[in-house]
Amino acid sequence: MIMKKIIYLSFMTLTALCASTLKVAAQQQQDAEPEVTGDVILRALPQSKDAIFKNSEEVKYKLELENNTNQWQEGRVSYVITTDEGNKVASDSIHIAIRGNGSKELEVKIPPKATGFYRINFMVNLPQYDDTVRKVFGVNPEKIRSQLHKPADFDAFWQQTREQLEKVAPKYRVMERKDLSTSEKKVYSVEMHSYGNLVIRGWLVIPTDGRRFPVHYRVPGYVVSLKPNMDNDDFIAFDLNVRGNGDSKDVINIGTDNYCLVNVENKDNYIYRGVYMDCIRGLDFLCSHENLGIDASKIFVEGGSQGGSLALITAALDSRVKVLTMQVPLFADIHDNLSISASYKSQVFPFKVFRKYNGMHPGFTWEKFFSTFDYYDPQNFAPMVKCPVLMGIGLLDQFCPPRCSMALFNHISSTNKEYICVANSTHEVNYDYFMFQNLWLREKFRIP
Amino acid sequence: MKKPFAFTYCLLLLITLAIPCKTFAGWPIGKYRDLVIPSFSYYNQTDHFDNNDNVLKGAPGTGFTSFSANLLVGYGISRKLDFIASVPYIYTINKLAPGNTLTNQGAGDLVAGLSYNLVNFNFKRFLSVQVSGIVPLYTNVSGNSALGFGDYGSEVKLMYCGNMPAVILDKGYFNAELSYRKYYGTQGPEQLSFLGSIGYPITKHNQVSIDLLFFKSFSSDKLYNPNFFAQRDFAFFKPALNFGHTFTRRFSLFIGGYYVPFGLNTGVGYGGSVLAVFKL
Repeated sequence: MIMKKIIYLSFMTLTALCASTLKVAAQQQQDAEPEVTGDVILRALPQSKDAIFKNSEEVKYKLELENNTNQWQEGRVSYVITTDEGNKVASDSIHIAIRGNGSKELEVKIPPKATGFYRINFMVNLPQYDDTVRKVFGVNPEKIRSQLHKPADFDAFWQQTREQLEKVAPKYRVMERKDLSTSEKKVYSVEMHSYGNLVIRGWLVIPTDGRRFPVHYRVPGYVVSLKPNMDNDDFIAFDLNVRGNGDSKDVINIGTDNYCLVNVENKDNYIYRGVYMDCIRGLDFLCSHENLGIDASKIFVEGGSQGGSLALITAALDSRVKVLTMQVPLFADIHDNLSISASYKSQVFPFKVFRKYNGMHPGFTWEKFFSTFDYYDPQNFAPMVKCPVLMGIGLLDQFCPPRCSMALFNHISSTNKEYICVANSTHEVNYDYFMFQNLWLREKFRIP
Repeated sequence: MKKPFAFTYCLLLLITLAIPCKTFAGWPIGKYRDLVIPSFSYYNQTDHFDNNDNVLKGAPGTGFTSFSANLLVGYGISRKLDFIASVPYIYTINKLAPGNTLTNQGAGDLVAGLSYNLVNFNFKRFLSVQVSGIVPLYTNVSGNSALGFGDYGSEVKLMYCGNMPAVILDKGYFNAELSYRKYYGTQGPEQLSFLGSIGYPITKHNQVSIDLLFFKSFSSDKLYNPNFFAQRDFAFFKPALNFGHTFTRRFSLFIGGYYVPFGLNTGVGYGGSVLAVFKL
């Protein structure tokens, strides 16, 4: 019968379609693990996707060994666990043998660990092949605590700084950039005067498809030039280049090696005093231009790395920010970051820069450094954050160690806060994080 | 130390979400958010299929026509759990012979239940299950009603939906639903259906979609009843073509038409629907 044939053919087609999408989905899930090639491949997969465990449970990894040679391989697989400050806490090894072009799976069970983050290195040692796979796992990160090194006059310092900012007339200039605009987005170059009367600039992108929009206010990473954000259909995008970044280099134009060192020996003149105020000035701009379609009651501030910290500080200092999202916040819990970075074989930013300065300036002790930086450590601002927060971190991040980011997170006083750990990321998060962030934002702002 | 994030990721999702599906499917509604879908449908038949898929011409002056209005509401209880309910209001015109016409109207079967998202695949595709109860909102006279079977029932539905894989289509969405429904009357029926839909945006605000519905209803009552709502044992294949326009992110309108080219013990039906989607 024709109907049976039609039903059969259609059903097969739809089944094939579903199978295809499931296969693609499965491949995408696998893509979370970086692709590795070689004669012998070692993969280490944590039992929980985000490599976060509880202190009441065993830490489990599945090890996959793949022998891509034709030869019999015999040797040892071992692991070493250290704290994030490099103190060894456990190790073990076993003998293995794999036939040519064969594979083997091993399960590693580690007794429960105390709260914190741990580095775990898996090693495969064969007569002709050695490899090490470096991973990090966390145990009860939401229970990580750190000491706040908040100066007694911290609040007064920032109150005074804000008062100084308010004395600077903003002198806003909003210039439509028809050369950058499209039929769907109007692009404006925005200019304003900020702390110390420096001129800073940003990009405002307004969708033409509507009259009033919530705002995606993005603050920059470390000496990063933000461009017009043309990707937002449902938000007005405001991307601010703080002093010394992007097109805000009229006075301060310094490379990455020295930017965070400008006046680091003087808390009153340290570059970040103005940078933090630039972020507030950007907020002033948004709230004084509702005529452009800005819904000032729905401003979310976002940033990654230095931008993550700037976003947090903006939300802390100003309640006009309604939602905060940040990724891998830089400079968080700077005291512990110093201790953790001491265990690195080779230094990375930011302590690579600070240590170099420290080495070249004998009088510049760490006490001196902290006497300035304690006014700027994002962690000290965290208790002032009251709005909903989403944070993403990469567990392999050395610039912003996970412990420091979580310490910052745990100091945030808002109870409406969530975090996401990306097990295989370094100083970044992944696709899934941004997908979730979009859904999360829509939930907070009730945007369909 | 420079910010390495690809904010294109954000764009991908925004584009994806900007294409609303014609009806509620396996997409989670979203925590604390509401979905309201009023719709209006028209159905007409004069001829019908016998048990061998042969078309039997209807006698002159006979036929069956229905108009129905349906309201579907959904509420996101959590990120994964949604409450869904729908209630139809039906008006039927059953022309039994020239000059002999039965008309009926009233609320039909209330279907209410919970949908749970079992798995999301990178927030792009969703596998969900929905369990619903069916309550007739009309009076059943001697086991007969023109508005439905007059019995309580239940339904289990498995749904898989999301973005089309790029290897198949560069954009668009799909939805597949496998559903089993059972009415607790002496003659059932039990119903099995499979719905496959593909939607494709032709412009930023306009889309077309195709639905393929395979429907089989099992019952010991094999009699043909021209009233579609009271027929118990039948099967059909129903393709539908729809056009949708997104006015705003919160409001979309769809219009569609369908035809039943193949069936067993059911009408050679055709019709159309207008449907509004409000996301609140």
